[in-house]
Amino acid sequence: MGLINDMNDMENESISKNLKEALKSFESRTMQVPAGYFDQFELDLMQKIKAEGQAPQKARIISLFSNQKKYLVAASLVFAIATGYLFFNKAENTTTPIAKVEIINIETLPDELIEAYVNNNELVAEVEWNSAIEATGTNLISINN
Amino acid sequence: MTDQALIIQFQNGDAKEPAFTQLLKRHRETVFFQIKKMVLEHADADDIAQAVWIKVWNKLDGFKQESAFSTWLFRVAYNETLNFIAQKKRLKTNSTQNEMDHSLEHPSTQNALKETAIQIKLERAIAELPEKQRFVFMLRYYEAFDYEKIASITGTTVGGAKANYHQAVKKMTELLQQA
Repeated sequence: MGLINDMNDMENESISKNLKEALKSFESRTMQVPAGYFDQFELDLMQKIKAEGQAPQKARIISLFSNQKKYLVAASLVFAIATGYLFFNKAENTTTPIAKVEIINIETLPDELIEAYVNNNELVAEVEWNSAIEATGTNLISINN
Repeated sequence: MTDQALIIQFQNGDAKEPAFTQLLKRHRETVFFQIKKMVLEHADADDIAQAVWIKVWNKLDGFKQESAFSTWLFRVAYNETLNFIAQKKRLKTNSTQNEMDHSLEHPSTQNALKETAIQIKLERAIAELPEKQRFVFMLRYYEAFDYEKIASITGTTVGGAKANYHQAVKKMTELLQQA
């Protein structure tokens, strides 16, 4: 304690007389408080504390998943990668037929069915017929002639 | 009864209010005057001191007594005072005149008549000190706190606290010497 006081004295010696005087009057000015101020301060403070204690607490919003957030993010990433992989992998391996082609022997078809098909698809049949003729290099005109 | 015993009593929940008021009675004046030396205005010091003690009431349950109660208390006071000053500075940017600066730079006419020129100069010099330097100086000069305690309160090193103190003295001396 004595050592501290000595050190304080040494420090204070470095302070000019003017400054010391000014600091003394500054202290006396700041120490002025109204009479009974601290008793009133205590009363006001305790009232405030009690009022705060009685005030309804603000509802806290607690996120249900606040602790599991990182796991949720990781799980959704794994899910996205897995579904992406499965989707693209499946798309590569499977050859989905655009139209199912069934080879039917025309001889097995009944004549009525062929006639009905020709009647219903006359135009188509005509085009098919013409292209078949062109493919063989003949034409109906030359035959007729 | 020591501060430690009162804190334990408070934390145990039995006679919480009497334990708190005992602590308040012991320390209210030193805390209040330290704050007032920082902000000068009585009303401002009152607001800050109220906020400090409300925080003490709310946080004392979690105080682990790793430091002395007074160190912890002054740390709370230091933070509250700095917050208050920062808020005032922010408000200053929106308003044309700042009450604190007004009181620091131009003491009221009534006071000015009473105060000598040197006192007015000192208040101006104090107002010009950075907040940390001001706080360190007040704790050392008026409360005679050791530098370790001051360092712990202001969150600095012992060397930093010493440097703050000497810088404050130097600046105030220079400002007082100016015409």
